[in-house]
Amino acid sequence: MVVAVTNLTYFLAWAYLDPRSNYVGRRPPLSEQQIVNLLEPRNLDDGTPLLVRWWNWFSGVLFRWDWGVSPTGQSVNDQVAYRMWISAELMLGATILLTLIGIALGVYSASRQYRVGDRVAQGTSIITMNIPIVVAALGLVLLAIAFNGAVGTTVFYVTGASSPGVSGFFPTLVDTIQHLTLPTLALVIVGYAQYHFLQRSLLLDNIKSDYVRMARAKGLTKQQAIRKHALRTSLIPVTTQVAFSIPGIFTGAVLTESIFAWKGMGQYFIETISKNDINGVVAVAAFGAVMTAIGAILADIAVVVLDPRVRVS
Amino acid sequence: MATDPSMVDPLAEAETAPPVVEPGQRKRLSKWRLYGRRFTRNRPAVGGVVIFVLLVLFALFGPLFAKYDHVELDFLALSDPPSPEHWFGTNNAGNDLYAMVVVGLQRSLLIAVVVATGTTILSAVIGTAAAYFGGRIERVALFVIHFLMVAPTFLLLAMMSNSSGGDWKVIALVLILVSWFFQARTIWTLSLSLREREFVHAARYMGVPGLRIVFRHLIPNIGSLLVINFTLGVVGAVMAETGLSFLGFGVKLPDVSLGSLIGIGASSISSSPWMFYFPAAALTLLTVSMALIADGLRDALDPTSAAGGRA
Repeated sequence: MVVAVTNLTYFLAWAYLDPRSNYVGRRPPLSEQQIVNLLEPRNLDDGTPLLVRWWNWFSGVLFRWDWGVSPTGQSVNDQVAYRMWISAELMLGATILLTLIGIALGVYSASRQYRVGDRVAQGTSIITMNIPIVVAALGLVLLAIAFNGAVGTTVFYVTGASSPGVSGFFPTLVDTIQHLTLPTLALVIVGYAQYHFLQRSLLLDNIKSDYVRMARAKGLTKQQAIRKHALRTSLIPVTTQVAFSIPGIFTGAVLTESIFAWKGMGQYFIETISKNDINGVVAVAAFGAVMTAIGAILADIAVVVLDPRVRVS
Repeated sequence: MATDPSMVDPLAEAETAPPVVEPGQRKRLSKWRLYGRRFTRNRPAVGGVVIFVLLVLFALFGPLFAKYDHVELDFLALSDPPSPEHWFGTNNAGNDLYAMVVVGLQRSLLIAVVVATGTTILSAVIGTAAAYFGGRIERVALFVIHFLMVAPTFLLLAMMSNSSGGDWKVIALVLILVSWFFQARTIWTLSLSLREREFVHAARYMGVPGLRIVFRHLIPNIGSLLVINFTLGVVGAVMAETGLSFLGFGVKLPDVSLGSLIGIGASSISSSPWMFYFPAAALTLLTVSMALIADGLRDALDPTSAAGGRA
């Protein structure tokens, strides 16, 4: 399936993107032969038949694990390998934080169903979940600029993953945190609510079940019953969901990365489309498909490991 | 011996007048009254409706109050903050931001409603038809759905709408194309159990043709789900469209949407923040109000929900 999708993307990309247009209309204008000479060795010349181009590309991937080059000649392999970790740097912390916050809030509001705390938490979550990430991110940028202005020094950086010329362990750490805080906050604000609602409804289902009432009847306090009996079962589907989202750490966040100018996978995605980088586009799609597949496998593994009712023969 | 009038069997004692239920004694609520009551009890949902209606009114009647057209340039006011002349300020080319926000809101709303309607109809028909007819139709439908689930839809979306040159109709069409299948799959699973119900069997044995069963018996039975899907679809479509337009792949100048306005505002966010404030506020109000409405509808339409209290 992944292979089929990737190949389909290759043809679709050729149908919609045109690397030649990068060179047409340049000043001084390039002759037709010059353009062909530039594109041909990069397997991007639309003069050669599509099937020949496809085979050149596919055999390169298949036999040499070479995903081709961009119209300017950079290797797609290098780009993906490098940008993957930038995305991971951004997404890892955000994913961990929003999962923990979401689950904690879910447990809190499920154990106080329909009381003030639950209502307030649910209302806040509905609102934050539906703030568009663009608005959240840019709002944070404005706040940070105001904060920096008030303090007088640059506490939060609003662009990039790191400043140039920083060395040593602690300066690098501080610098990274200064760059990481804002995008992480933006991702957490819009992202935690899904786990909040999931955890809340699952835990409520379990709290009403017979074995939790049994535990209460044995004399456990409500807190103990929830923690030891209801929470454990309700965590299984949540973990599946989390496992499913882990590969997303590497595929990155398109909008957040482009707002905060992180050169990760999400930003690469935009760059490849706007620069007619067909090999790059296909590589991004393939990477995404593989990551989705890994996510599905991880989710299955998580269920098998956590749920004693599931037996694998 | 005085018997309770309501205990009298009207068939056995036909001479006596049949029992009359006093109006007001125990009123049966009609379905819609019940839904209305449960919905209005959810105060955030009512707030959502109010905000949404205000936004729609603003989009419809806002142009009447505008002093400028959204493509008109005022060279005497470049990058001006909000003033009595330009209520929301102007951008660096002298466009009136008020007029642009109104037009952008219209555009975003229109795309969202078109996409949500298309998605809901398409998913309902395909999902239920696949479940009811089974066999080859079901296999083909499921194959397409599963294929689209793996396909890089956001990439397709970006490429197709980018090459459309910013025509909102193409963007809406592409958005429908890449968002119907998740809902269709949910509806398919639900309809699987629905097709085994007695009323469906009865209709089939009475000789009702298959398509009519789908439209008259299956789809009305998932009606509440469709209503909720529609409202959530509006939220999703607004977010997708504004995301695309923000990146520059969606609606393009001279046409504007809230997303492209925010995109323009983002580039000058520290020097002229009002360029960001107003479209962002409109967008956030739109998505949040729709989500509140969806939440209220879910509580009102779901018979098992207890969030709205009794009745």
